[in-house]
Amino acid sequence: MTTARYRRRQMRNGIFLGLSVAATAFGLGWLALILGALMYQGFSGIDFAIFTESTPPPGSMGGLLNAIFGSIVMSIFAVAIGTPVGILAGTYLAEYGRNTRFATIIRFVNDILLSAPSIVLGLFIYDAMVLTMGHFSAWAGGVALATIVVPVVVRTTENMLLLIPNTLREAAAALGAPRSHIVRQVTWRAARAGIITGALLAVARISGETAPLLFTALNNQFWSTNPNAPMASLPVAIFQMAMSPYADWHRLAWSGALLITMTVLILSIVARVLEAQTDRR
Amino acid sequence: MAENGAVKVSIKDLCFYYGGTKALKSITLPLYKNKVTAFIGPSGCGKSTLLRVLNRIYELYPNQRAEGEVILDGENILSPKLDVNWLRAKVGMVFQKPTPFPMTIFDNIAFGLQLYSDLSRSELQDRVETALRRAALWEEVKEKLHASGTSLSGGQQQRLCIARSVAISPDLILLDEPCSALDPISTAKIEELINELSEDYTIVIVTHNMQQASRVSDYTAFMFLGELVEFGETEKVFTTPTNSRTEDYITGRFG
Amino acid sequence: MVDLALSQDISIASSSTRLRRFHATDRTFRRVTLACALLVLAMFAGIFGALISGAWPALKAFGISFLWTETWNPVTEKFGALAPVYGTLVTSFIAMLIAVPVGIGIAIFLTELCPRSLRRPIGIAIELLAGIPSIIYGIWGLFVLAPVLQQDVMPGLIATFANVPVLSTLFAGPPFGIGILTAGLILGIMTLPFITAISRDVFETVPPVLKEAAYGLGATTWEVLWNVVLPFARAGVVGGIMLALGRALGETMAVTFVIGNAHRISASLLAPGTTISAAIANEFTEAIGALYAPALIELGLILFLVTAAVLAAAQYMLYQLERRAGGRS
Repeated sequence: MTTARYRRRQMRNGIFLGLSVAATAFGLGWLALILGALMYQGFSGIDFAIFTESTPPPGSMGGLLNAIFGSIVMSIFAVAIGTPVGILAGTYLAEYGRNTRFATIIRFVNDILLSAPSIVLGLFIYDAMVLTMGHFSAWAGGVALATIVVPVVVRTTENMLLLIPNTLREAAAALGAPRSHIVRQVTWRAARAGIITGALLAVARISGETAPLLFTALNNQFWSTNPNAPMASLPVAIFQMAMSPYADWHRLAWSGALLITMTVLILSIVARVLEAQTDRR
Repeated sequence: MAENGAVKVSIKDLCFYYGGTKALKSITLPLYKNKVTAFIGPSGCGKSTLLRVLNRIYELYPNQRAEGEVILDGENILSPKLDVNWLRAKVGMVFQKPTPFPMTIFDNIAFGLQLYSDLSRSELQDRVETALRRAALWEEVKEKLHASGTSLSGGQQQRLCIARSVAISPDLILLDEPCSALDPISTAKIEELINELSEDYTIVIVTHNMQQASRVSDYTAFMFLGELVEFGETEKVFTTPTNSRTEDYITGRFG
Repeated sequence: MVDLALSQDISIASSSTRLRRFHATDRTFRRVTLACALLVLAMFAGIFGALISGAWPALKAFGISFLWTETWNPVTEKFGALAPVYGTLVTSFIAMLIAVPVGIGIAIFLTELCPRSLRRPIGIAIELLAGIPSIIYGIWGLFVLAPVLQQDVMPGLIATFANVPVLSTLFAGPPFGIGILTAGLILGIMTLPFITAISRDVFETVPPVLKEAAYGLGATTWEVLWNVVLPFARAGVVGGIMLALGRALGETMAVTFVIGNAHRISASLLAPGTTISAAIANEFTEAIGALYAPALIELGLILFLVTAAVLAAAQYMLYQLERRAGGRS
């Protein structure tokens, strides 16, 4: 082995590893730029009115109250219907269908839905609900968001349940407990933290989703609590305001963006803390 | 010296299959009432498989089946007409790794009790205390019944699992290498417990520790490659085995 | 019957009703979970069905030539998918050009070079990048990145490549600030954390003994990566890339703000264009006429089929890696 060859190898090593450092700096740099702009623009536009007034017509002052309300309401609805369906489906995959071809197919389809374009989900619910009902509604918006929640919860539930060792199930069965009792009283309880984390992640994901709401809940400039009519949401309001030429609306768009990002951040942190707690146990 | 008493369980021509593989070959042996029977043998001999037939726990998995007869107090427990949940409430099982449920210590014991009986709160508390006393755990946990079952030490968790099984007054208790995950002190405590429990319950223990088998059991069954090689009173099997393979295993020539 | 004397603690008398109730509950519970699992399949089928039925008028009117027609005229009701499809493919391609090397580079940094104490914070920071909703990327792109590109970067690019044969057409003016390149850039930044996350997981499945054996022979870190880790993890990394591609193809909000919404193909990357999802997002609510909405839905159908195919292929690759890792351990 010549020293020249060794030096070349060392150089190559240094170059490629140096590139990886550069890549990390690149990625972190963009993060800083995006979060920085978001904080700066968002905070400078935040005032009390954001939380007390509804979206204004262009050229006047206002807030985001109706959009915040709409987002919260539709998210709660989406989680309320999506999480139970997801947990039950995930339970089937882990407890009854393990190693069957049927379960493999379902898992496969589920994973495709997990990464499917959310605008297509919006079109689906438009066809299934908006056209059938004859009008846009918050119900349709909530269901569209639920179609995003379900695959996420199915996946995390199945993964969490598969982590529970079989001896725990056997121990409950050995006491004469029937299958459904074991799943509900022992297995779900053991996987509880993981399942909740999955639900939190699903909420974080739908907090920022715009496309599914565009043709289901549409948007509403005014305060509305009617679930049978179009309802405002933060993402769609931001979309509309940012695409417009009005500076007031741009300011509100940034503030809304900040609110969404804060929500996603907090949910992710809570989910992470929950995860860490279970690991410690 | 143990005398041949009443037979609690009679195993006749039992064969067991994992898919197409025959894991147990025509096992016939008696389990005597209120005695401790040990199953010993090298890894893969089928001792755990045999144990797991006794409460049909293998039915949780596809592609596993048993043929033959296992008569518990006059009834063939392998009969498809027998309700398997009910059978498992009559036969208790403790596993190699302690498996406390993710609940309080109290709820761990109450779990089995609430399945098959409607007890009042005070009756429940009595039963839980009785079970914990029988498992020699009461003194250690009586102040913290509402702590999580997982907060106990390994040896305590295993005794909790024993208490859990004992609480529902089983006819037969199955122990699948109950001490292999425990330290020597906990092991000694549990062996003492097994001695006490055998006065009221029929016990079967699978162990790969021969010294433990000779300490704890009244009868021993030696198995090899899915066959029952020798069965008899423990003292006799260990001092004057009739089969040469038994002698080889006991003297450590293999396994 | 089993000896009742020992069983007096448990009331056997009611046990037969109890046992029957247990079995009934078991049956119901199993059916409910099965129904929910089937719902997942139903959703998939429902999406497919809704897209086909919605696109039907356009499918009948335009046939297969829809795929290569550039015209997009709501007035004469002549529509073609060429511009959106082109835009989708090109922006995703640009995104992958950025995201793949950078994403894998970061994964390499995090698994091999990063000092232990920094590993978690940097890992979390990169995950943050993945968690930021796409609409944030969108408005950031529109308000922050596009002006910078318009004023400084794009004129620079145009000037630099003005006399270079192929590149001068690729980077021809005018500098709008928005357009295909901008959209591709934003998409790339959005996608790189996915590739990092999957690559990291995949790198960690490499058995340490393999790496130790290579180090033991005196290999440098890079040589171990190139010759041991990457080949072992190849299926997984490729699967991760395809997963990221699947997401990039379907991404809407990050792209809609900065793509320019022009239904035409240009040779220049600096020109505005459109993608399938941007076209639907921008135009659907105002699509009147018998063929406008169906044409948009047909675009959605194309997108769904393409992403489903890419994601299915990605799944397959990742599944291969799982089997391999399972087989080796």
